[in-house]
Amino acid sequence: MRRLALLLVLCLAGCAWSAPVEIELVQYKPEAFRTFDALAAKFNATHTDIHLTISSPNEPITILKTRFIRENYPDIIGIGGDVNYSNFQDAELLADVSGYPGLAKIKKAYIDIIEGLEFVPTPGTFGVPYMANAAGILYNKDIFTEHGWTIPESWPEFIKLCETIQAAGVRPMYFGFKDTWTTLAPWNALAVDLAPADVCQQVNMGKTTFAKEYRETAEKIIQLLKYAEEGPFAYSYNDACTAFARGESAMFVIGNYAIPQILSVNPNLNIDSFVMPGSDDPNGQTLNSGVDIMFCVMESCPNKEAAYVVLDFLLDPENIQAYVDEQNSVPCQTGEFRLTPMLDGMRKYIDAGKMADYQDHHYPSEMAVDAQIQTYLLHGDIDAFLAKFDTDWVRYNRDIISKLQKYLATH
Amino acid sequence: MKSQNERKRTFLLISIPILLLFFGFNTVPLIRGFIYSFTNFRGYGKYDWVGWRNYIDLFTDTRVGNSYWFTFKLALVATILINIISLIMAIALNSKIRFKSFLRGMYFIPNILGALVVGYIFSYIFTYILPAITHAASMLASQTWAWLAIVIVCAWQSIAMNTLIYISGLQTVPEDVYEAAALDGATGWNRFRYITFPLIMPFFTINMVLCMKNNLMVFDQIMALTRGGPAQSTESISFLIYNNGMNGGQFGFQSANAVIFFIVIVAISVLQLKYLNKKEEQL
Amino acid sequence: MAAQEIKATERFNWPVTILLLLGLFTVLFPLYMTVIIAFKQPSEMTNDVIGLLSFPQTWSLDNFREAMRVTDFWRSLFNSFLITAVTVIFSVIIHSLMGYAVARNMNRSKFYRFSYFYIVSGMFVPFAILMMPLVKQTAQLRIDNMFGVIVLYVVFFMPMNVLLYAGYLKNIPIALEEAAHVDGASTWTTYWKIIFPLMWPMHATVAVLTALGTWNDVMTPLVIMSGSGVNTLPLAQLNFQTQFGTNYNLAFASYLLALLPMLIFYLVAQKQIINGVINGAVK
Repeated sequence: MRRLALLLVLCLAGCAWSAPVEIELVQYKPEAFRTFDALAAKFNATHTDIHLTISSPNEPITILKTRFIRENYPDIIGIGGDVNYSNFQDAELLADVSGYPGLAKIKKAYIDIIEGLEFVPTPGTFGVPYMANAAGILYNKDIFTEHGWTIPESWPEFIKLCETIQAAGVRPMYFGFKDTWTTLAPWNALAVDLAPADVCQQVNMGKTTFAKEYRETAEKIIQLLKYAEEGPFAYSYNDACTAFARGESAMFVIGNYAIPQILSVNPNLNIDSFVMPGSDDPNGQTLNSGVDIMFCVMESCPNKEAAYVVLDFLLDPENIQAYVDEQNSVPCQTGEFRLTPMLDGMRKYIDAGKMADYQDHHYPSEMAVDAQIQTYLLHGDIDAFLAKFDTDWVRYNRDIISKLQKYLATH
Repeated sequence: MKSQNERKRTFLLISIPILLLFFGFNTVPLIRGFIYSFTNFRGYGKYDWVGWRNYIDLFTDTRVGNSYWFTFKLALVATILINIISLIMAIALNSKIRFKSFLRGMYFIPNILGALVVGYIFSYIFTYILPAITHAASMLASQTWAWLAIVIVCAWQSIAMNTLIYISGLQTVPEDVYEAAALDGATGWNRFRYITFPLIMPFFTINMVLCMKNNLMVFDQIMALTRGGPAQSTESISFLIYNNGMNGGQFGFQSANAVIFFIVIVAISVLQLKYLNKKEEQL
Repeated sequence: MAAQEIKATERFNWPVTILLLLGLFTVLFPLYMTVIIAFKQPSEMTNDVIGLLSFPQTWSLDNFREAMRVTDFWRSLFNSFLITAVTVIFSVIIHSLMGYAVARNMNRSKFYRFSYFYIVSGMFVPFAILMMPLVKQTAQLRIDNMFGVIVLYVVFFMPMNVLLYAGYLKNIPIALEEAAHVDGASTWTTYWKIIFPLMWPMHATVAVLTALGTWNDVMTPLVIMSGSGVNTLPLAQLNFQTQFGTNYNLAFASYLLALLPMLIFYLVAQKQIINGVINGAVK
């Protein structure tokens, strides 16, 4: 039985012209299922030798993990550039795609971002970045125009703006810190300006400490509380989206991923965005942008050539534009694309490639950094927070640190 | 004698296949999980053996320690609260009341509503409605009171189930017992204390054990209400095991946590069962 | 008939009825919020007390229609129904048998006492530790489908149900079956003819609790059947939640739709809990 299956696979690989090769792609953004369904239909209408199935399950990461346990691997997975990618790559589940020609068209900044996610630097590239997201500050354009407020370029300007907004009787921002993960939005946006992009790897190599690199970020994030609603720890992400959508705050420190939820409450809201000006130096700002979705070919995929044909199709500028239009995303590929006007304020950073990944993509989720930031914002004890960050980091990452140290000793 | 053998054989023929089924799908995976507790397994892919490291870590981890304290505090308070209210509800719903089916149906609804609904509604009540009435800050945002909010929601949801069990227990009390009691002049509290309660004692045992178990393993309510916050003050043991073991990369470590947790609650429950069974016999 | 009714009305315990009706507020208020939200549009959601407690602008069934479309309601309902019904039937048969074997022997046999504690302690195994091994095991046995999910449920609910049945049988006198034995009936026949019908109130309770547990469960079908394309109602309801946004209005409409079958089942089972004793006593 098993031998028969093997023969079948070999035949599928070898005699592709006789029966179409099946390629299964599982992608992790259920909210984009319509876009992906349309792409799959278009692919199958134009290709006779390959049949593509794209599934967009709910709870995708749980589903992927359980399928890996069962050794029932899809051919391609569409996942985010986060710690799941690092784990899958470290578990040697992903194939090296550095031989894929389409990679040359991807912006280098995004390739660097996913290379940086590898626990241990590994030769090769293990994913093709497709779309990026961008985080910073969303603002209510109508309120801003009405009062004639301008976009701040540096931290002192930003604080001054907050004071001005408050003085005008408007709430500058609204936080949903009851959902701990939302504390990461301001944290990441500030940290990309104030800490080195590879701080986690540097700490793992023993070159620096978080107490040193994150102090300024921690000092600045807590200042924001003055400009938010009373007791932000009582309100959820959903409350914050609703409040911003209803004009209860002028700004919202979050990413473009929140736009659909905000618009569902108020479809007519006039939103624009700007980069969090965390640095005191106007030229020192960096856009907080990460890989929202990338495609990884699985090591177990029997027919990599067919998988590359699928990737070629997905990376076709026309299909990228269709995706961008429907999902308000930022493409990772070079070339001219039409972006949503809601990201106008971030456009020049995107075009210049002046961006860095979310710091939390390097944090192990079990360390619960978001909850630690929430604790810090509640108690305000910066030294305790940073000290705990350093000790916990070593405890939760020791296997990675020892692997890295072994690697450094031999390279 | 022959019939005694027949009886024994029948009981064995019933219980052995069932025990095997249980062994295969409960004990076997548990043993596998136990083996993983000596590894740094992520749940998939390669892993290394780490010996007793996970267990040593467990006893030095303040986060795990806090989760034990929180879970036991919550379980104890919730179990007592739920059992008192359920018992009262069961007796009330079992008495000669008007609209019996309607009332029983309505009071059962909290148990059917999904975690998303309960979480959303109660978050809303705690965040907006209660503060508007009491002029105090939201309980969910307070490290001192968030656990009590979870107790309230646990109670709200599980009273229905425990009431149901008490009601079915009350059905085993024959009507003539009450009639005899009435002739002896036993009414109200005395009737409950000396007649009803001893008769439904086995159901009290069941409810204490089930309730303790449900509350010690509290998970849904925490996911729905606080997700462990504020400041990690409401992280239950199950929450840590699931979040860090399944969603995070700590499957091996959290397996060790689960093994210890399992041993602790089995010990508690067996003690509880033995003690209450003895009480039942005394009554 | 009329005379009887008058007599019955006279004996209603009105103070308790009134207290229970007043207590209903604790259930009705959250339920009211659920219903209101299910009828509103996302754009009607606000962050203040009045906004959320007010009626929707229109009482349109669009949310329910849309929720049914998104969840492929009838097909998901059918799958949920199938899994729940089969699980309940198997649970009632298998668990009551095991409960019987245990209850009638645990006082004299070490084996059965051990079996009882062994099975009951299975209740305390955190699901998170079993999950990954079970995923692997069901895949190896080729039962990573609805059948496998049902097998797992029958095992998961065994501890609670055996606890319930064994507790219930303590209140059923052994004299009844001994009489049958004297008449020459086998243990097996005695069980089905005498004991099984006597346990109707408990069957109904077990059925309700087991049905509820399977009906609302997301995790087991999610991990066991992942990628198979078979959806249950709770799995389909995940459509309303993504990481960065939840459509509460559609979700609540869908939860209300899913609540109805369970509520009806509960009300039917409630009748059994009451009637069962009478039937049993007559036989």
